[in-house]
Amino acid sequence: MKKLLTASILGLGLAMPAAAQDSGGRLDIVVQPEPPSLMLGLVQNGPTQLVAGDIYESLLRYNTDLEPQPSLAKSWEASDDGLTYTFKLHDGVTWHDGEPFTAEDVVFSVDTFLRETHARLRVSLEHVESVTAPDDTTVVFKLKNPFGPFMGVFEVGTMPIVPKHIYEGTDFANNPANNTPIGTGPFKFEEWEKGSYIHLVKNEDYYLDGQPYLDEVYYRVIPDAASRAVAFENGEVDVLPGGSIENWDVKRLTEMEGVCSTGKGWEYFAPHAMAWMNNREGPTSDKLFRKAVMYAMDRNFVKDVIWNGFGTVATSPVSSKTNFYTDDTIMYDHNPEKAKELLEEMGYDGETVRILPLPYGETWQRWAEAMKQNLEEVGINVEMVATDVAGWNQKQAEWDFDIAFTYLYQYGDPALGVARSYLSSNIAKGSPWNNVAGYENPEIDEMFAEAAVAPSAEERQEIYTEIQKQLVDDVPVAWLLEIEFPTIYRCEVQDLVTTAIGVNDGLRDAWIEQ
Amino acid sequence: MIDFLKRFSRNRGALFGMIILIVVILLAIFAPLIYPDSPWKMVQRPFLPPFSTDGLPLGTDTLGRDVAAGLVHGARVSLIVGLVSTLVALLIGVPLGAFAGFYGGLVDDGAMRFTEFFQTIPNFALAIVLVAIMEPTLPTITLAIAIVSWPPVARLVRAEVLSLRKREFVDAARLAGLSNIRILFGHVLPNAMSPIIVMASLMVATAILLESSLSFLGLGDPNIMSWGYMIGAARTVIRTAWWLSFIPGVAILLTVLSLNLIGEGLNDALNPRLARKGR
Amino acid sequence: MTLAAAILGRLAKAAITLLLIVILNFFLIHAAPGDPAMVMAGEAGAADEQFIQQLREQFGLDQPLYVQFWNYVSGVLQLDLGYSYRQQMPVLDLILDRLPATLLLTLTAFFMSLLLGIAFGLAAAARQGRMGDTAITSMALLFYATPLFWVALMAVVLFSVKLGWFPAFGYETVGAGYTGLDLVLDRLKHLFLPALTLGLFFMAVYLRMTRSSVLEVSQMDFVKTARAKGLGEGTIRRRHILRNALLPVVTLAGLQAGQLVGGAVLTETVFAWPGIGRLMFESLTARDYNTLLGVFLVSAAMVIAFNIITDIVYRLIDPRI
Repeated sequence: MKKLLTASILGLGLAMPAAAQDSGGRLDIVVQPEPPSLMLGLVQNGPTQLVAGDIYESLLRYNTDLEPQPSLAKSWEASDDGLTYTFKLHDGVTWHDGEPFTAEDVVFSVDTFLRETHARLRVSLEHVESVTAPDDTTVVFKLKNPFGPFMGVFEVGTMPIVPKHIYEGTDFANNPANNTPIGTGPFKFEEWEKGSYIHLVKNEDYYLDGQPYLDEVYYRVIPDAASRAVAFENGEVDVLPGGSIENWDVKRLTEMEGVCSTGKGWEYFAPHAMAWMNNREGPTSDKLFRKAVMYAMDRNFVKDVIWNGFGTVATSPVSSKTNFYTDDTIMYDHNPEKAKELLEEMGYDGETVRILPLPYGETWQRWAEAMKQNLEEVGINVEMVATDVAGWNQKQAEWDFDIAFTYLYQYGDPALGVARSYLSSNIAKGSPWNNVAGYENPEIDEMFAEAAVAPSAEERQEIYTEIQKQLVDDVPVAWLLEIEFPTIYRCEVQDLVTTAIGVNDGLRDAWIEQ
Repeated sequence: MIDFLKRFSRNRGALFGMIILIVVILLAIFAPLIYPDSPWKMVQRPFLPPFSTDGLPLGTDTLGRDVAAGLVHGARVSLIVGLVSTLVALLIGVPLGAFAGFYGGLVDDGAMRFTEFFQTIPNFALAIVLVAIMEPTLPTITLAIAIVSWPPVARLVRAEVLSLRKREFVDAARLAGLSNIRILFGHVLPNAMSPIIVMASLMVATAILLESSLSFLGLGDPNIMSWGYMIGAARTVIRTAWWLSFIPGVAILLTVLSLNLIGEGLNDALNPRLARKGR
Repeated sequence: MTLAAAILGRLAKAAITLLLIVILNFFLIHAAPGDPAMVMAGEAGAADEQFIQQLREQFGLDQPLYVQFWNYVSGVLQLDLGYSYRQQMPVLDLILDRLPATLLLTLTAFFMSLLLGIAFGLAAAARQGRMGDTAITSMALLFYATPLFWVALMAVVLFSVKLGWFPAFGYETVGAGYTGLDLVLDRLKHLFLPALTLGLFFMAVYLRMTRSSVLEVSQMDFVKTARAKGLGEGTIRRRHILRNALLPVVTLAGLQAGQLVGGAVLTETVFAWPGIGRLMFESLTARDYNTLLGVFLVSAAMVIAFNIITDIVYRLIDPRI
């Protein structure tokens, strides 16, 4: 017998048109920084995804509870042994250049294009044995082994579907078509005035009747955070995606009349702010010191003052928004006395600890300053290292730090977004996105491996609970905050954030109340 | 000398500048006594406006740090960066300009090419790149500012030396058998001192502005509280707490202004002939 | 030496200077920590060594430095400034795209500050020692001592947020589809605040320069002679003082005009002006080597051009040379 995953979805699809959406209008959205390219298959950074999420699509979307929803695929099933996944695609889908979209495009995208270009998907694709297209609207994935998080990789930034007729047999990175992206999404690329704006227009041939509702979208490049806030205030832009203005302005803007905000739309990413602690050398190689750091930090102060109350203090390597989180772990509160005792116990000799802040704006800088002050108050000598984005990446990749701020996405599943930071097989110089702290624990390695391929959710939960208990006791890194980047918009804009990646999923459903 | 002081003190602007500068210097020197705690210490609720709380005359910043403490400690950084970078710039510019002006010919050509070369790169842009490459710490910032500010010194010194070397006292020294180096440093340069001093006082002012601009762009030393840092950090809240960027801005303004006034006063006092014309 | 020959000589020297700048900057920027591949991979949120290595190969960063250097320099000699990794387009196109905005901003700021500076300077000199003089020179001192970025911030708060007279940032009203006069007005509105803040400091410089220059020249012998000859004060001022007094001002202005490009980095960042100053700062943090080098080359060329133009103007004003 096969599990049917689509029933509830179809019902939901029918319910959608009940509310009468107004058609027409234009949205101005801030994009920061200016994306390097809009070819989502090649570049997957935040700004690219924000814009390209309108142009490209994947097979699925995810609601804010991380349950799969139809996108290019209208239905799907998984075999009982968890080895075969079959997707049925929408009929009559065309690319923006008029060519028909078929299952062959999916096979090409996944098996050829993304395998070559997409670092994150490549890891998941190692579990995939074959991707085939039995007919024009059916795609079948065959897995080598059960892979728990597999239903979570069909998000548009993870698996953007690109046109085979344009890319097959070409040098992907240097294809001139990269400058005029062609997708299947609700909006088409119109014009890119570098340094100023990107203009998208409605895809009149979109396969969902009546959608999209908006006529056009302008993504506006405004390099200065304060100016972005002003732009929203005086009505020049309608939407400020999460993280595009400094937190202090968030409070002020959301108190304005006619302004709405939502913290939703980040469930898939669940950005987890943390500080790597160098487990190899220096005071941070001592577990007692690392615990002392946890007790020394006043994370509630940071949340309330620096993040204006947005977010949740992180208690575990897994975000409370991600599946398989547990709160059955040690809880570190703000306890300077306890921190001092621990430092005493380890015999801390006053060696200076270098903090590497995250060079992503004033909020992060203030945060590092607060941490420095907290640590100094319990008697730790701290030096703040100044650097820019390039230097920050390099210092992490070369392990040249004692404590380094970062935040990482969880991608809905510990196997995709969490394990990578703690596996000893993932220790390698040259990249800041692996086990940078240099934590080594064979037991943890084994448990992560088991959990990824465990056949049932219950079994996975059991193992992940154990992992979290042990990691929280070992504190290989300092978990800081589950960040919430509120999306701020004018209240006339409806259905802006409907999925677990928010505005990044494109404006298919968004409309403006007339 | 007494003559000089008389002339200087007759200039009201210069006196005013001197008073401000002395206050700033005193604050900088006694900062650890006035505010023994670190200026980074979070002492109260954030965003307390000035004059609202006892013991916090200028209120608190975004993290609840004492603005007055930051201002006083920041004075040290601004002055140190201003003075040291000017000194370094003089150390590069004066000898270069002096040799160029004194020896002329190929030496002059080479030195001036070199100077022109540095002047061709917009200096603020060059400072940004230098700081970014060396990574911002107090010494690297100071050095970067010095590197971009010496060319005008070299040009000025060269021009002065060029006009002085033809004078009678140089010929006299030469007849007395003094070496070129002795003549240059013992006789020619001392006579070129007054414009150099005037320029130096203005350079300190410019250096303070440069440091604050770099800090504003996030290229400051994060371990040190400086005025530019305070403005840069407060810029994000300029709409809700404009005074947080206003106050350190005024501090920079006053300090730079005082240095300019002093520079003008020096100019008038050291070149009485010119000054009288100007009056 | 004729004017043409002088200019040719200057151009030849300029070419050598530019080449030296390319060489110096090339090694400077490659000494900075990190590389563009790392930055771009970093922005993707997740990447592995293979991905970073692919990017390096694609950008040619896997080759030895001397090979990269040779490729770059030989490219520049053929007027090819390379390819921007970050913006995915040829650097020359990118710069030509952004250059008009910077030229518009800096030239407006330059002429505004020069005209206002000279006008106020003359006014101050004419009222020498009186209230008006004090007021004008105090104003100049104030502008001279104020940090540029701070003025910009305060100007935004006052003129655009509180009073709503001018847009706070940007180059034009996006998507408004203005044409003709509306377009020009729209541009001017956007231009006002950035040009003002960028120009204020230089206005103060030119003002002080003009004032002291006029006062100095008025004391010179030929002016006294003219007075003794019984020429009218107005004529003396126009024919004798003005011409001689403005010479050093124009020279200085021309030499400093290049520095406006440096100041434009701050102004363009605060006002979101899509010019090359901002491009420079962005490409520095992104380690977009080719773009950064290109911007430096172009801004140095602008400085040189300003200097040469100054030279010509100098010759036109002062026929003795």
